[in-house]
Amino acid sequence: MILLEGVEVTLTSAAGAVNVLRGVSLAVGRGETVSLIGPSGSGKTTLLMAVAGLVRPSAGRVVIAGTDLAGLDEDGLARFRRDAVGIVFQAFHLVPTMTALENVALPLEFAGRRDAFEVSADCLASVGLDRRGNHYPAELSGGEQQRVALARAFAAGPRLILADEPTGNLDGATGGQVMDLLFRLSAERSTTLLLITHEVELARRTGRIVELADGRVVADSASRGAAAAY
Amino acid sequence: MSLTLACRLMRRELRGGLKGFRIFLACLALGVAIIAGVGSLAAGVRAGLHADARSMLGGDAEVELVLRPATAAERDFLDRSGTVSESVGMRAMARRDDGAARSLIELKAVDETYPLYGEVALDPPQALADALAKRDGLWGAVAAPALLDRLNLKPGDVLRVGEARFVLRAALAHEPDAATGVFILGPRLVIAKAALTETGLLIPGTVVNYSYRLRVPAGSDIPAWEADAKSRFADAGWRIRDVANATPGLERLLDRVGLYLTLVGLAALLVGGVGVGNAVSGYLASRTLSIAIFKSVGASGRLVFATYLLQIAALGALGILGGLVIGGLAPLLLARLLPAMLPVAARFDLYALPLSVAAAAGALTTLAFALGPLATARAVPPAALFRAPSEPPLAKLGIGVLIVQAATVIALAALVIATSSDRPLAAWSVVGALAALLLFRLTALGVIAALRAAGRPRHPGLRLALANLGRRGANTPEVIASLGLGLTVLVALVAVEGNISLILDKDLPQRAPSFFFIDIQPDQAAAFDALLASFPGVGNFERVPSLRGRLVRLNGVPVERAAVAPEAQWAIRSERGLTYSPTLPSGSRLIEGEWWPSDYRGPPLVSFEAELARGMGLKLGDALTVNVLGRDVTARIANLRSLDWTSLGINFAMVFSPGSFGGAPETEMAVARVPPEREAALEKAVTDRFPNISTIPVKDALQAVGTIVAAVATALQATAAIALVAAGLVLAGALAASRRRRLYEAVVLKVLGATRRDLLKAFLLEYGLLGLLSAAIAAALGTLASYLVVTEVMRTDWVFLPGAVALSAIVALAMTLALGYAGTWRALGVSAAPYLRNE
Repeated sequence: MILLEGVEVTLTSAAGAVNVLRGVSLAVGRGETVSLIGPSGSGKTTLLMAVAGLVRPSAGRVVIAGTDLAGLDEDGLARFRRDAVGIVFQAFHLVPTMTALENVALPLEFAGRRDAFEVSADCLASVGLDRRGNHYPAELSGGEQQRVALARAFAAGPRLILADEPTGNLDGATGGQVMDLLFRLSAERSTTLLLITHEVELARRTGRIVELADGRVVADSASRGAAAAY
Repeated sequence: MSLTLACRLMRRELRGGLKGFRIFLACLALGVAIIAGVGSLAAGVRAGLHADARSMLGGDAEVELVLRPATAAERDFLDRSGTVSESVGMRAMARRDDGAARSLIELKAVDETYPLYGEVALDPPQALADALAKRDGLWGAVAAPALLDRLNLKPGDVLRVGEARFVLRAALAHEPDAATGVFILGPRLVIAKAALTETGLLIPGTVVNYSYRLRVPAGSDIPAWEADAKSRFADAGWRIRDVANATPGLERLLDRVGLYLTLVGLAALLVGGVGVGNAVSGYLASRTLSIAIFKSVGASGRLVFATYLLQIAALGALGILGGLVIGGLAPLLLARLLPAMLPVAARFDLYALPLSVAAAAGALTTLAFALGPLATARAVPPAALFRAPSEPPLAKLGIGVLIVQAATVIALAALVIATSSDRPLAAWSVVGALAALLLFRLTALGVIAALRAAGRPRHPGLRLALANLGRRGANTPEVIASLGLGLTVLVALVAVEGNISLILDKDLPQRAPSFFFIDIQPDQAAAFDALLASFPGVGNFERVPSLRGRLVRLNGVPVERAAVAPEAQWAIRSERGLTYSPTLPSGSRLIEGEWWPSDYRGPPLVSFEAELARGMGLKLGDALTVNVLGRDVTARIANLRSLDWTSLGINFAMVFSPGSFGGAPETEMAVARVPPEREAALEKAVTDRFPNISTIPVKDALQAVGTIVAAVATALQATAAIALVAAGLVLAGALAASRRRRLYEAVVLKVLGATRRDLLKAFLLEYGLLGLLSAAIAAALGTLASYLVVTEVMRTDWVFLPGAVALSAIVALAMTLALGYAGTWRALGVSAAPYLRNE
């Protein structure tokens, strides 16, 4: 599902160029659940963005579900995300001027689906928010906002879910509920899951743990055959 | 709270530079520059007027008499008062010696002492006395260049005026006391006073102005002399002017134009104030986090308020200074271009008063519009640090802030009114401007409420557009209000102009007469009628008696002390045409009262124009006194009439019953219409046969009206343009304020699979809707305004012109789409990564 070969990402800023990813290679199979761990600044979020086509590697290859992202222009990447990828952020990133239901419906609407609102309503129901569809993000709690974001990520039936510390803005109990939901939905739909987390306990719930440091993969539980080492 | 601490914090906040304040500075500088520029321009022209007052008046004082020269006693008094220069003015016809061309002229006959002040410049250069002198049996004349063009004359050629022949000796390059009225139909011809009698034009009843200019010994008390003159010759009908009011018409015009342009500046400042408010609000929203941090480490709300108030004050001072520099210097630069357009040599300089007024207006506007956002900033809770950054908090304005805000607006209005020459008009205009702004804001709020209530369309782009327009804290009402105001001026202007053009270009030429004939002597009437009756193609012929008289008393109260509304003042300002008739004149409609029997011969009755009667507070049965050639005639108002001024026929405001004026000398005036190709022949036939009769081609009059209309239209276009520039700034400011949110939305939507096309469509829909909503409000209000102007002010039929509405829609769409696109194109290509990383 995910194939990264020697991916390098260099970000330039006023202070100079920073090599955020330095030759990352990674292969993730269909239906696999993988956690990305590592200290701050190790390149986890950049790796996730490279997989989503939100940053372009300066070297290397990113192939997702058989599509080489280098061959897509900006709009091609947008369509690719619409059809194949769902993303969950720590800061939720819901459109503040739209209701929960409208937020969930967006990727379906962009795909031109006529049943966008029916499907979205089902998705909201699957995260337990069927009664909150007409509420705006500001009227929802953090946990509820993240559940809306989950529903939105799964709405278009993506083959890959990318989650960037989805519980980072939530308390422990709420975070636990959200993660239960994320794992349940992934399992039900056989979706590949790539999850960034700082929590070892949470990482252990995935089938595989990849550790990044200083822009490189420094450990991969798949190569050692067991996630238990963590 | 320490002010030094606030200053220190303010200085640190200013390190960010002027980024984000460009719109703020532009809005403020625009309004201040216009007020400062207009004020400086008016001050310069006024200074020029006062400096040249003596030569424009032609003396230290002037006594004017209509229809008759000064009596021996009067002249004796004048001669004892100082050096006197007499000049006689009248309308007449000038013809080429061969009769091939003729023109109406403003004839001026001057004596040897003319001019008492200033210089007459002639081309080729020579002394005026030489140019006018009688040589080889012919008197000389000098003429305005326009007459040389019209009659195709050059110096040395001969022309005829009345029964006399003159040698044109030079063109008049400069006439120090040139007439300054806007409605002058004929070019100037100057001859010697001694030559006037030879023209045969001085017939009793003919409208002739006798002007006596006086040069008094230095140090004379002119007001005392005036008072003495008025008491000695109370009933002489003298119109006395001195240097203090040398050019009352011009000063009145200058006052009106100055006030009008100041109000344009004020309107720009008000619309710009909306932009100032938006800019401050956008800036403070971007400082929410800093403010929350200040507060979390112990800053009070007052300190926060003071810090940002100081910052806005510092930036406001910069904007005001920019406006003052532009507005103060513009007249100095324009000085090179303007002389040709101005009747006086303006003295452009830096004048303290208009610059101070502009600076104060700018400061008050900034304060009025920045107070709301500052109060909101003051209310930012430190808890904002613990929430994800989203919408800026909305605080309800406290009563204290509202009071200060209201006080600033009142102070601003008071400033404009107090520094205006026509305070009631200024007051009404200020109230109108504020009401218009309020009306637009309320309308915009209503439209937005309707949008919110309209439900959520399924189309995601349309939904996003509507959601953005109706979003809490969005600048939509301000943008619609400012854009709508600019567009309304545009719609009203185009519609009014269109209606005027319809009348001037299509309607009037179809029914207006070809000529007015004036100064027909009673003994010529029969021959004149016969000539016109025998002339092929003459129609709509009408001839009435004509006298000149001055309205002196209303119900026994001298007009100077009577309460007369501004719109009726013109009727008491100078001599008016009077007539009498046994029957209701054509083109009049009886509104109230009865017309007198056609054989009525009783005490004088008068039929008065209804609007004027209302302006003077007169009703049926009231008494009017007019002074005709020194004799007072008092008549009772028998009925009120309405007139169709646009018929351009003979319209007298006052029509008396026959016999009212006894044996006062009178002339006749007439109108007639002939096909355009016969006009020249008719003019020739009449003036060849009757050299004393002047013909006024209505075409020329229409052209003069057209010139005035065009000048007014230019001023209005400038207003619309300034209002639209200010509205454009507000729109640009609103876009700048929402830029961050737009970028963020674009990123989220792109992550969810929106293509650039999807985003572009959503943005275009939003800005298209914004433009259309503004245009719709402007179309409705602008059309209503044009209807009111055309039917109530111009009192003529109004025609709906869809072109005006279409134009406003096109301008609105072009502005919103172009600015909207310029403001959001970056969002289409923005990189998502920086916005999505966790802080």
